[in-house]
Parts: sequence; C-alpha cells; structure tokens
Amino acid sequence: MKEPFAPPGERWEPVSPALARLRHALVVGVAVVLLAVVGVLSLLLPVPAAAWVGAVVLVLLAAPLAWVLVGRNARWWGYAERDADLYIRHGAFFRTLVVVPYGRMQYVDVQAGPLEQAFGIASVHLHTASPGTSARIPGLPADEAARLRDRLTSLGESQAAGL
Amino acid sequence: MTPPEDGPDRRPYRRLSPLTPLVRGFILLIAVLASTWDDLLRGDLGPFAWLLLAILAAGAAYGAASWLRTTYRIEADELRVDTGVVSRQSRRIRVDRLQGVDIVQPFVARIFGLAELRMDVAGGSAREGSLAFLTLRDAEALRETLLSRRDAVRAGRNAAADGSAAAPEGSTAAASRERVLARLDLGTLLASLLLSVETVLFLVAAAVVAAAFVVFGQLGGVAGVVPVVVGFALTQFRKLSAYYDFTLSTVGAAAGDTGWPAAVRVRRGMFERSTQTITLARVQGVVVSEPLLWRRLGWARLDVAVAGYAGGQGHDNGPSASTVMPVAPRGEVLALARTLLTGSFPGAPRTEPGPDPDAVPLSPAPVRARWTAPVSWRFLAGGLGEDLAVAREGIWTRRTHVVPHARVQSLRLRQGPWQRRLGLVDLRVDSPPGPVSLRMRHRDAGEVRGLLEREDALAREARLSSAG
Repeated sequence: MKEPFAPPGERWEPVSPALARLRHALVVGVAVVLLAVVGVLSLLLPVPAAAWVGAVVLVLLAAPLAWVLVGRNARWWGYAERDADLYIRHGAFFRTLVVVPYGRMQYVDVQAGPLEQAFGIASVHLHTASPGTSARIPGLPADEAARLRDRLTSLGESQAAGL
Repeated sequence: MTPPEDGPDRRPYRRLSPLTPLVRGFILLIAVLASTWDDLLRGDLGPFAWLLLAILAAGAAYGAASWLRTTYRIEADELRVDTGVVSRQSRRIRVDRLQGVDIVQPFVARIFGLAELRMDVAGGSAREGSLAFLTLRDAEALRETLLSRRDAVRAGRNAAADGSAAAPEGSTAAASRERVLARLDLGTLLASLLLSVETVLFLVAAAVVAAAFVVFGQLGGVAGVVPVVVGFALTQFRKLSAYYDFTLSTVGAAAGDTGWPAAVRVRRGMFERSTQTITLARVQGVVVSEPLLWRRLGWARLDVAVAGYAGGQGHDNGPSASTVMPVAPRGEVLALARTLLTGSFPGAPRTEPGPDPDAVPLSPAPVRARWTAPVSWRFLAGGLGEDLAVAREGIWTRRTHVVPHARVQSLRLRQGPWQRRLGLVDLRVDSPPGPVSLRMRHRDAGEVRGLLEREDALAREARLSSAG
C-alpha cells in the first residue's frame, strides 16, 4: 500500500530553488506596493488614522504568511521521468498528481516570462488531446527545461499512439 | 483571389443546387411577400413596398451570382471549394483529414429536397467545411465518395492515381451495407420527455398556483408561472423535434471485413433532419445516463465522445449532438454501447460483441466519504476491468462513464485539505472534450495509488496492442 503522492521511483526530481526565490520576491514586491498605496492614500483621503494603521498591520501580517505558503508550494513541485510516462506532483494544500503517457502528448511548450528569465528558469507545459490534462512544470532551470522538452518530444514521437 | 480554372482538361467542377438562393432567402421572400401582397394584387405600390421589392431583387441577384461563382470538385485526395462573388476564395479540404461528414436538412431546405453537407475537419470550426445546398441524393453520394476515398487514403492505397475508378464502387458497396440497429418510437420518446425533472417542477408549480387560488381566491401567481411553463414546453419540444424519428444504423467496414461495423449513422429530426456518421475507431468513451424517473421503467440514454467532435456537454437541457440513443431500455443501451466500443479493440476477434461495461466490478466509495459528500457519496462507484475503466455518480441522474483503456489520455490524483483529513483522494481519467469525464471520487487513500498504477499499466498495454 503506497502513499498516494509518493514518488514512483526513489524520489521526486525537485524544481529549481529559483522558483521559491522568484515567488518570495513577488510577495515582497506586492507587499511594498500595497504599503506604498496605503501611504499615498493616507495623505490624500480624510479617513481616521486607525484605519491606515489597521491596513498596514494587515499587510505586515499577511506578507509573512504568504511568504511561508509560496515557499511550501514551490517545494511541493516535483516530477519523475519514467520509461513510458511522466509523473508530476504539485500543491501542498490541494495535492495533485498527474500521469502523462509520452504516447499521448500532442505538443510540448516551454515558456519563460521576463521575471522567470531574470531568475534563469522556464516552465514546461505538456498538452494531450484532453483539456483536463494540466501537466505543467514551472521553475525548471532554463537548460534543464530545454533538455526535458527535447527528451519528451523524441519520446513522444517514438511512442505516439494517435487518438 | 484565385480564379477557377475551368479548362476542358480538368475534371468537371460541379455547382450547388440552383435552388440554393431561394432556400437561403426564403424567410426574406416570405416576409416581403406577406407585407406587400395586397399592394401587389391591387397593382398599387407605395414607396415602402417598392423599397422592399428592390431589396428582394438585389438579394436575388446576389444569390444568383453567388450560386454561379460557387463550384466544387474532387481533385485527387482533396475536395476543392471555390466561393465568393467579389473576392474569391478557394478552399481545399484534404479527405484524409476528415473526421466525419454530416448531412443536415434545415426545414426550408427539406421542403425543396435539399441538404447541407458539413465536413468536420480536425482543428477546424464547423463553418470551415460546409456545402449548402445540394440535392439530398447528391449530398449522400458525395458523402459516400469522400468517406470511401478517405478510408482508401488512410489505408495507404494509392487513391490519387486511380481513385476515380475505385471510389464509386466502394461507395455503393458501403452504402448498401447500412443496417438499422435501433429505432426510437414516438410513444417512448414522448413518455421519456414527460418523465423528466422539468415535469415534476411543472406539477409543483401548478400545485402551488392551485393552492394559492384556494387560499386567496385569486390567481395572483399565474403571471409569474407563465414564462416557466412556456420555457418548459419549449425545451421539451426542442428535444422532441430533435430526437423525432431517431434511427441508428451501422455502416459496413471496408471490403473484406466482416463482423464489426466501421461506423454508425444517426438520423434524426422532425423539421430539420440531420444525418451524422460516427467512426467507431474514433470513439473515446460512452456515458449511460439514467434519470431518476426513468429508472423504474429501466430506461437509459447513451452519449458518445468522439475525438475532434466536441458536440454537447451531455447535460439534460436541450438536445445534444453527442447522443446516440435518447431513450431505450437499459439492456438495449448497453448492447449499443458495446457495439460503439468495438472500435477501440482492433485486434480482438470480430465475432464477439465489444466489452461489457456491466461486467466491470465496481466498488463504492468508503463510508467516511459522507463527511465530504453528504448525500452523493452513496452513489459513487468505480472500477477497472480488463478492457474498460468505469465510474458511476449522480443523485438524480445516474451517469456511468466508460472509457476503454486504449483511449485514456492522462491520469490525475487530487486531494483537498479536508479530503486529506479523511484519507480520501479523487482519481480522474482524462478524455478529449465531450460528454465523457470519468472520475472516481473520494476513493480510499490506501488503494488509490494502486488503482492509478494499474490503470496506467493497462492503458500502456492497450496502446501498444492497438498500435501494433
């Protein structure tokens, strides 16, 4: 009897720690912007000071919580390449495990937005004929993402099963 | 802007039916005539009537020009359609890309004996491949030609070289092998439409209005109920007209094949007749639906998921293109389901019917699932058979989703925080868009990983054997 989200082999291949760094940076960025907005509004609007203090406290409490949660979430991303299929696990709160047979892949995407590029990571997205297949691995080091894409594409070609 | 090359050395191009502009502008024609006919009879036309007649004349001229400028022909393994009055358009549809060819007869076209040919092209919208209107006989002949040519191309035979000689023979042979599998009689259809949740709501509404009348002595609520009643009647009437004279027949396989059919054909409709062909090799799964009120009578409905043909989402509202049997005794529905599933097992001996979904042992969700799905947990069940994955759910309408292992796209496990406390996990089998969505919800966390890995192995084995 196996734990439902256990790795198929020895362990899960983790994503780059840069993913957690990127998300932490985002949390800090959003908190700073929110504090700045509160500060500017407090100078412009005639609202009692207690409301502004409350808003600042709320942001200062929420930010560390978000910091912990996004870090935990990033650590839960993992994948495992097997002979005929790819296992992907993610989500600390809502846990998901996806199994995509290479023979069912229609195409593979590699995406890297400006922020991701700055952190040297990219995400790989696998598509099958089903829109329900949400097989995405974010936060792979850029060269690892390219390697995985090439490997998945060649495996997909050799094992393609049609519809 | 490619002008059609009409040289005598070319294969002859063909036109749509000359009645096409009349059918397309029929509503306009009737409207104009209805609003001006007494003026016309008196020979005394006002400026408004003149304007309407001018619009009509312009429409007729455009329609005629459009008809003259629309041609189609089969070139090697392409269907070429040239259209456009001012800016010309030339579309080529490769026959080996055809998912299916449907024939639809809207009401007006049917009066004139015309039909529209709709071609489903992989990745194209419905409008991409449509020829409207042809005579029904031409449409049927063209469909047979296209389908047999597609099969020839797919089978690797050289259809380009001698396709013109081989195709007509193949088409007549395939057409003659059509055999009626099931026919829906009007009485059953009417009864099934009356035995619906809507009817119950309607009766409840009527009872409330009657009670209000007795208590207050006036029909205050009637105005509010009228739209509900009209809506109900319209929905049911749309289903009645869509499913009227529903006939399901099998279409023979390529020459030399015996036993399993290659496709089934659905014909249906009261005012608008439509004919839809479902290639069994493209069937991704089936759903057997049993609404609460039908269960006592043992009736069920059958929907099918076909790759590249999303159709309806399989809900109870309105008719759906994915339905292959609107209502029939459950045993009959299961027999049809087995026939539809045969396309997923090209290697199996062809004398047997397809795998039986009822033979798959289903196990229920554990009792503690009641803490997350208080009522529906009782109705959850799922299991893996030798050839099929089966899951059942639904309080009011019991739906049994069936997916052959050979058609599984991907697998998913999902667990929310509350499910984690209860030790439950959802298992999903992903299918292409359509009515089939197989979920085994709230399975025991200890067994679910085993289920996933077993399904994964079965699906891989099935893929390998159906590819080889």
